[in-house]
Amino acid sequence: MAWVTWRQHRSQLVATAGLLLALAAAAFGTRLPIHAAFHRDSLSACLPPAARSGCDIIVPHFEAEFAGWVTAARVLAVLPVLAGLFVGAPLLARELEQGTYRFAWTQGVTRRRWLLSKTALLAAAMLLAGAAASAVVMWWRGPFDTLEGRIGPSSFDVEGLVVPAYALYALALGVLAGLVFRRTVAAMTSTLVAFAATRFLVLEFVRPHFLTPLHRVVLATDTGLQPGDWVLSNTLVDGGGRQISAAREDLAVLHATQAGIDPHTYILTLGWKRLISYQPAGRFWTFQLIEAGLFVGLAALIVLVAVWLVRRTPT
Amino acid sequence: MSPSPLVAHGLGKRFRREWGLRGLTLEIPQGAIVGLAGPNGAGKSTLLALATGLLAPTEGAISVLGRDPLRDPGVLSEIGYVPQGSPLYRSFSVADTIEYARRTNPLWDDEVATELLTRIDSKTKVGALSEGERARLALVLVLGKRPQLVLLDEPFASLDPLAGRELLQLLMDGVAETSATVVVASHVVADIERVCDHIVLLAGGGVCLEGNVEQLLESHRLLTGPRRPLGAVRGVREVVRERHSGRQLTLLTVVDGPIVDPSWTVEPVSLEELLLAYMAPERLPAPRTPEKVPLRWHG
Repeated sequence: MAWVTWRQHRSQLVATAGLLLALAAAAFGTRLPIHAAFHRDSLSACLPPAARSGCDIIVPHFEAEFAGWVTAARVLAVLPVLAGLFVGAPLLARELEQGTYRFAWTQGVTRRRWLLSKTALLAAAMLLAGAAASAVVMWWRGPFDTLEGRIGPSSFDVEGLVVPAYALYALALGVLAGLVFRRTVAAMTSTLVAFAATRFLVLEFVRPHFLTPLHRVVLATDTGLQPGDWVLSNTLVDGGGRQISAAREDLAVLHATQAGIDPHTYILTLGWKRLISYQPAGRFWTFQLIEAGLFVGLAALIVLVAVWLVRRTPT
Repeated sequence: MSPSPLVAHGLGKRFRREWGLRGLTLEIPQGAIVGLAGPNGAGKSTLLALATGLLAPTEGAISVLGRDPLRDPGVLSEIGYVPQGSPLYRSFSVADTIEYARRTNPLWDDEVATELLTRIDSKTKVGALSEGERARLALVLVLGKRPQLVLLDEPFASLDPLAGRELLQLLMDGVAETSATVVVASHVVADIERVCDHIVLLAGGGVCLEGNVEQLLESHRLLTGPRRPLGAVRGVREVVRERHSGRQLTLLTVVDGPIVDPSWTVEPVSLEELLLAYMAPERLPAPRTPEKVPLRWHG
């Protein structure tokens, strides 16, 4: 089946390799000025815990200089879904659409083995491609990650283990969608929707609770932000621990200004504190493992369903 | 005697609301060259798709080479099936297509393939082949499997008569030494009557005639005589069809003895005539929704 898979999907595999090469070339070209700026400003001296004076000016300046590139690099989060759209979705949909399944499924290789081997081989290729893309991005984002940490979504989603895991999940989705919808375009569309929905739901509602978030209480006037942490919530609480609404905060500021008192001082005298809930930077790899495991598990489940369906409900 | 290579029992397949096939019971003899005839929509393709596990029966059961094609799909390595229109990967070259078959069939015989496929350049893309060449390639892919059962679905539908004849020759050469059972589905009787020794006529989703061609031709006679009220004719077991033309009455009958009445002219019947008579709408087993144009008689 390896030859069959290669022969049928070689254009997609070659395109994947080409895409990776282009990514690597772009990363290589743009990384040089970033690297140079990082050393020019001796930003390594600004890494916690030994931040030298002036860092609070240099670091934002460095970040602002390359903000456009970093934003552009976030687009790379869409890369994994391509595996689902262009490799997974056509795998069955094209056979069903063009009628060639009647040839493919009546050979000596059983339909189930045919689907399993093809999916497994392509999954291996997509895992490899995902890992390579992830490695390139991690290398490119290195300077930013050392300053800001990598547990925040903008880096978490394009680095580490989750990238190949997303690719695997997208591939599995595409295969199943192709079997269900039997049309390439419908399979691609539904793959895109399902993939985006899953990623959004996991990011918003699941990932923040992989491990119990840490809490930190700081002075109300402090921003409370520390580089590297993924801040989940940032609220003002009164002495009794009750949350203070934005309206109440505004009102307090208004009272203070009317009374001619500095609002900061006023808020401090009220005994208000800032409660920050966050995931620390050090949990990056743990979170990567959990999320990658989640998506790989989902992918395996979907492939099992597809294999069961392809045998159970013939055309 | 070895078990029948294709057995159906009470087989039925429903597509949404309509039954494509219903209550079909059939047993094809080992080694036979079977013509699967019937008008369009009679269920020929459905039967072959059920035999290869591409469709699942709604009711009843089908077994090929003694195995269930759905539960035991390994049996497909011993079955050669050419679907209607011989679908193949258009972007593959001929050589790639053969390589595909070689790698997906444990019993693949390279000699058969190379021997039979001498006339087509192996570098040609399948999409660039003519209909005849593609049908030929599809058949070679099937013969290379050294199958015990060959199922062809309308192999001549898009071929000119010469290409059809060549294809048939290729098929007969291919199965000559293996004594494989062959089922050729076709709605054009002329295409299959040259080679088949057994006939299965489907109409209205069921079998309406089945048997050895020789025996069928032997047991049917065409009786022509003056028009007159019908009584029982001695020697005639059943009148399949009657036709009036002018003063003549023509009866297609099943005979069980010599026709002694001298007022009848007795003639043998051709296979085509026989099948057309059995396909006539008034002979269909059960009334069905009239979405298909029934076969009409001229005469």
